[in-house]
Amino acid sequence: MSATTMPATGPARRWRLSGLLAGIVVALALLLAVLGPVLVQQDPLAQDLLALNEPPSGAHPLGTDHLGRDVLARLASGARLTLLVGVGGATLAFLLGAGLGLLALALGGAARAAAFAAFDLLRALPGILLAMLLVAALAPGPASIMLALGLSYAPMVAEVARAAHARESASDYVAAARAFGLSRLAVLMRHVLPNLVGALLTLAAIILPRCIVTESVLSFLGLGGTPELPSWGRMIADAGNFAEEAPHAVLAPVLALSLFTLALSVLGERARAAADPLRGGTS
Amino acid sequence: MSLFPILGRRAALAGVAGLALASVARAEQTATPRRGGTLRIATLGLDTADPHRHTGSIAVQQAYVEALTSIGPNGTVEPFLAEAFEVSADGRVYSFRLREGVRFHDGSALTSAEVVANLERVKSRIRGGWLATAMRIAEAFEAPDAHTVVIRIREPYAPLLNLLSELWILSPNSPGWDETITHPIGTGPFTFGEWRPKARFTAPAFTGYWQAGRPYLAGLEFDLRDDADHSLALRAGDLHIASIGRDKLASLSRDPAIRIGRQKDTNWFFVSFNNRSPRPPFDDLRLRRAIAYALDKRAFMNFAAGPDGIVTNQMVVPGNAYFDQAMHDADPHARPDLDHARALLREAGVDPAKRRIELVSWQESYAQVVVQMVSRLGFPVNHVALDDLGAQRRLGQYDWDLAVFSSGPRADLFLRYVRLMSDGPNPVLWGGVQDPEYDALVGAAVREPDLKRRAAAYNRAWQRVMDRYYTVVLGHSQNIIAHRAEVRNWDPGFTWSCHWTSGGVAQTWLAPQGSASQG
Repeated sequence: MSATTMPATGPARRWRLSGLLAGIVVALALLLAVLGPVLVQQDPLAQDLLALNEPPSGAHPLGTDHLGRDVLARLASGARLTLLVGVGGATLAFLLGAGLGLLALALGGAARAAAFAAFDLLRALPGILLAMLLVAALAPGPASIMLALGLSYAPMVAEVARAAHARESASDYVAAARAFGLSRLAVLMRHVLPNLVGALLTLAAIILPRCIVTESVLSFLGLGGTPELPSWGRMIADAGNFAEEAPHAVLAPVLALSLFTLALSVLGERARAAADPLRGGTS
Repeated sequence: MSLFPILGRRAALAGVAGLALASVARAEQTATPRRGGTLRIATLGLDTADPHRHTGSIAVQQAYVEALTSIGPNGTVEPFLAEAFEVSADGRVYSFRLREGVRFHDGSALTSAEVVANLERVKSRIRGGWLATAMRIAEAFEAPDAHTVVIRIREPYAPLLNLLSELWILSPNSPGWDETITHPIGTGPFTFGEWRPKARFTAPAFTGYWQAGRPYLAGLEFDLRDDADHSLALRAGDLHIASIGRDKLASLSRDPAIRIGRQKDTNWFFVSFNNRSPRPPFDDLRLRRAIAYALDKRAFMNFAAGPDGIVTNQMVVPGNAYFDQAMHDADPHARPDLDHARALLREAGVDPAKRRIELVSWQESYAQVVVQMVSRLGFPVNHVALDDLGAQRRLGQYDWDLAVFSSGPRADLFLRYVRLMSDGPNPVLWGGVQDPEYDALVGAAVREPDLKRRAAAYNRAWQRVMDRYYTVVLGHSQNIIAHRAEVRNWDPGFTWSCHWTSGGVAQTWLAPQGSASQG
């Protein structure tokens, strides 16, 4: 009998259910980010100074904030910015960490030493502190945050890439490929890289939520550029001062951020388990 | 049958509640002062240990240093270390009679020699600052006897008595006197204790204070963190007195342990243009007028200050001796007029969609309201919201178009006018005006000893500011200073000062917690 037709045990059911819920949450967030302006007609920047901190109503399903702006519209618009910056930062981290790191490993010698010395230098500073310093130096804004996230998380990716590269390089198939006369770069591209994809995917599932949270922290600290621009972190910072008077305005972005990062973590765990042949797809 | 047939139930209940509150307040003020306790305060920070070198943050140092004069709650000058003063008929000679028995914290007596030494120090060692003009025209400081000080000035200078309330008198024995004072030895009711910049400052009571029996408190502790939420600390009892934002007013007002007070002078809100180096088309008066027509002052003030917000076009509010009602009534920007604004833009040949406005502000929500108002004309706006230092730095580069700021209470109206003068201190918030004609008009005002004529002269200078659209006033509000019910004999003053002749921390005392409800 195949594994798919076996009756599901309690833990397995919970495993599948949590994965399904996480998938739904991520899908909803993506939907909100992509179709937000179509789904929510309100302008996220429009202020109504006669309707400050209004509780949820028909006109404003999630209420208004301290400037009378529609919280749902800002949540949707914020999803786009938060995800864009988070995903952009994580992508940059992979391009720098895995791309540059693997290239340096393939080239070896001075290139390898220089690249990993730079990564070690970046790693010496706590990620959030490094990101804050970079954003402050580059002028606050989404592009600066993206770059700061990329540089902050690149060393982590580079380290994982180095470990996986070392493991694969010691394999017989790599030795055989070299014996056939393939160059280091060719071995890397044709044989090593495909075997690193699983490890890097797992890492992506860890780094992406971290990037999103870091983006929110930087926006919360006022480093996200112009204050009108909605991001979930900025929304939390703005509404935090009015939490007693208008809890809806702070709860909406807090819940969105918490649920989304939790869902991403759950999906990351599933991806890691799926890539691990010894775990058989459940925990 | 109603017991209150004429007044109505609500009015009667309000009256009863008012009487009860009044009796509690009266009982609080007349009870016998209790000695001891540490009063914990959070209003503004402390930027230097050298009071002569302050950069405007003046809410802490008055606890340990005093001046010849102080500003009373209605903005008038009160004698302080000077028990009396006299101004000559030509307005050029000021004579001060010092109080007897005043001692510095090191035990030495205050005489006219120490006062003259302080005047000389400010004149010769302090560059720029609030007293620069006064010191520039000072011809001589004299000490004819141990308790008389005479200041001779080249020309009449009306703000002098008010400005002397910020020329603090220190012992020349204060460490660092020759350069920067590191441990001020003053005459105040409290002494300079331990200072941890941006965190905390403690001031133990001075037992040899000249006001007999005062202070009642054992000491003061100032919370200098500027990013902390004072309202929560106030409610928890970790602070006794704190400045609070309007966003916390509703929740604090509901707390029976909290009393709400207001500073007597106002904060004024304004939108400034870059006057030092305006980038086209912001050098065109028609565009400046268009921006002004887009501003909804009433809506802005409702947001910034609630129903207490005062809409006007001047630096002062109705009731102030310098307020000009006719000028107020003639304000063309009292109400927004977007059609007129758009017509002006067309006339100036400006397509707002093609010109991005660089707007600088502090990280305050009220600036976003102005951004929205200006955006209605079709301008894209790049809003740069910075902390105090960041804003000062950016404004000083003069690479921006609009600035939205507010400015707090001052000891004299001149300290508002001087910010727009060519050599004024810290002029960046007003776009670095360089206008000799304006300077001359303000100069004429300060030379005028008669209040009515001086007010007219000041208003001629202000009319020029409005005609040139250097800055557009949105309105005024009062800062809110809340305190816990156990704090007695405390009411916010005219400025941020925590100590003045007729009030402040020298007279304040702490009742046991929970005694407020019993009066």
